[in-house]
Amino acid sequence: MDAVIQLLVNGALMGCIYALITLGLSLIFGVMNIVNFAHGDLVMISMYMAFWMGSYMGLDASLTPLITFPMLFLLGIGIYYALIDRTLRQKYVTQIAVTVGLMTFLRAVAQLAWKAQPRSLPYSLISGNFQIGSATIMTSRLISALVSVLVIVLVALFLSRTWPGRAIRAVSDDLDASSLVGVNQKATYALAFGLGSALTAIAGGMLMTFQQVDPTMGLRFGLLSWCVLALTGLGSISGLLISGIIVGCAEALAMGFWDPRARLLVVYLIFILVLWLRPRGVFGRK
Amino acid sequence: MKNLRIVSLLFLILLVLILPFFFRSNQYGMILLTTILLYGVLATAWNIIGGMAGQLDLAAGAYLGLGAFTTGTLLLRFNLTPWIGIFVGGLVAVLFAILVGLPLFRFKVKEVWYALSSSALVEVLRIAFIMWEKIGGPVERYLPNYGSALYMRFSSYIPYYYIMVILLFASLFVNYWISRSKLGYYLIALGDDEDAAEVLGVNVRSSKLKALVIYAFIVGLTGGVYACIYGFIHPNFFSSPLSTEVAILGIVGGMGITYGPLVGAVLLVSMRELLRANLGGQLESLYLVIYSVVLILIVLFRPRGITTLLQDTFNKLFSRWVRNNHAE
Repeated sequence: MDAVIQLLVNGALMGCIYALITLGLSLIFGVMNIVNFAHGDLVMISMYMAFWMGSYMGLDASLTPLITFPMLFLLGIGIYYALIDRTLRQKYVTQIAVTVGLMTFLRAVAQLAWKAQPRSLPYSLISGNFQIGSATIMTSRLISALVSVLVIVLVALFLSRTWPGRAIRAVSDDLDASSLVGVNQKATYALAFGLGSALTAIAGGMLMTFQQVDPTMGLRFGLLSWCVLALTGLGSISGLLISGIIVGCAEALAMGFWDPRARLLVVYLIFILVLWLRPRGVFGRK
Repeated sequence: MKNLRIVSLLFLILLVLILPFFFRSNQYGMILLTTILLYGVLATAWNIIGGMAGQLDLAAGAYLGLGAFTTGTLLLRFNLTPWIGIFVGGLVAVLFAILVGLPLFRFKVKEVWYALSSSALVEVLRIAFIMWEKIGGPVERYLPNYGSALYMRFSSYIPYYYIMVILLFASLFVNYWISRSKLGYYLIALGDDEDAAEVLGVNVRSSKLKALVIYAFIVGLTGGVYACIYGFIHPNFFSSPLSTEVAILGIVGGMGITYGPLVGAVLLVSMRELLRANLGGQLESLYLVIYSVVLILIVLFRPRGITTLLQDTFNKLFSRWVRNNHAE
């Protein structure tokens, strides 16, 4: 029983980070209906950037998002204007081809810059662990999860309370009507793409406090976040957290009770089953 | 114009057949040619499900791996020659395709979600075969009988090249034949607009399934040969990069054009391999950077495929040539 609780705690904490990663994907997919295959690789790039900041500037991993967030934001806007904007009116196949090209590009750049070895940062301010009941909780994971939830709430507030946030939602609901009332479609799309990419910077920084990074990680995070998104559906932020936690827990249980290698197997099986049985997601709005 | 086409086709066939004689002493050249043809076969098969039916399938690696593992395991366990084994491999791939395709098409999983679920499938199989230590496992299983033609384990690449040539012409022919058949028209209609096709009486589900099955069979067959070429089987044959690359070759070459994916494969794979050969070593991944940039540029500026660019230039040159001749 204790083992189950321990696994569930770890899984739930990881799940919060998955929810944060998926929030970025969900923004991009929900607003401009673009399938970003490179999202997982943006997480990977963020983690490498956190590694850079950590090892060359001596910055703690948990603080790197302060620098990587604006960098990824700009990168996202750059990607939008260079690639995505040109393919908006094309068939979805073309859009996927472009983001798959981007995915290959990011992965190759990561391999070129950091070789194929896994990298990790030696220490973090928020290390150590403590005991609640029978479960041991790693401080770094707990703080990462809390930061993720906080950021998700902030983004939800941004989307509902501020003008640019409302513009994003308006464009996502009805493109024509929103242009009629004076929303700049291009700028709003760019903002959504930038924000979606920048959110991976926070996730990447937090992940680096307790994980290592290698260039193949993009694939894993990519499919993982699509799994969470499929489970959630579009437009539900609380559903995102729940699905993230479900996926995280399923992964942890598979690792603990079946085989460490089975973690992704379980995630993908959930993904395929959800697609077959509930193509609109479980918590979705649309 | 029709005569010209037949002549150029015959010329092309002849070229493909005699190409190995220029590379007789050049092992690397033969490997390169065989690899290009391998991707050509895969991309041409992909054209049926991806190009005609418009379903972005990213699971080529799944069927390839199944074909490879069936062929390899039959050879290892029962000493069955791959000449039969590859067909069993193709059938296993077909069975798997039916198993996956029935629910997928029944529950109308399409577009993005079809792409993603097929992409997840490859990883599922890869991990499952790593864990299934009786058949797969984390280490390579080497195939016996090296050098025996009876077991399709040639010591030279030339026979493999010709096997790939046969597979290529077979899949080109299947492509051409489907595009002229009722099934082809159904597929093109549903690829354009699924609901409209259904209203007009196209059985969307069974047409898609037929396309998937034909594609899976060709890829499974190729997988068996793939295992023999490499001389071992390993769960990494269920490869996501390979699967996406096959789809990309099809898209870049020109979806729905019979020889489009082949053109894409010939141009891109040879470019990639030449870049790798010249830039490899000190800057390992530079070739991938250049490769992906070229890929993005082609997709951005020629979304209908690079084959259409070649067609346009050819037509322009040809019409000028006709005009000049008439002027004289």
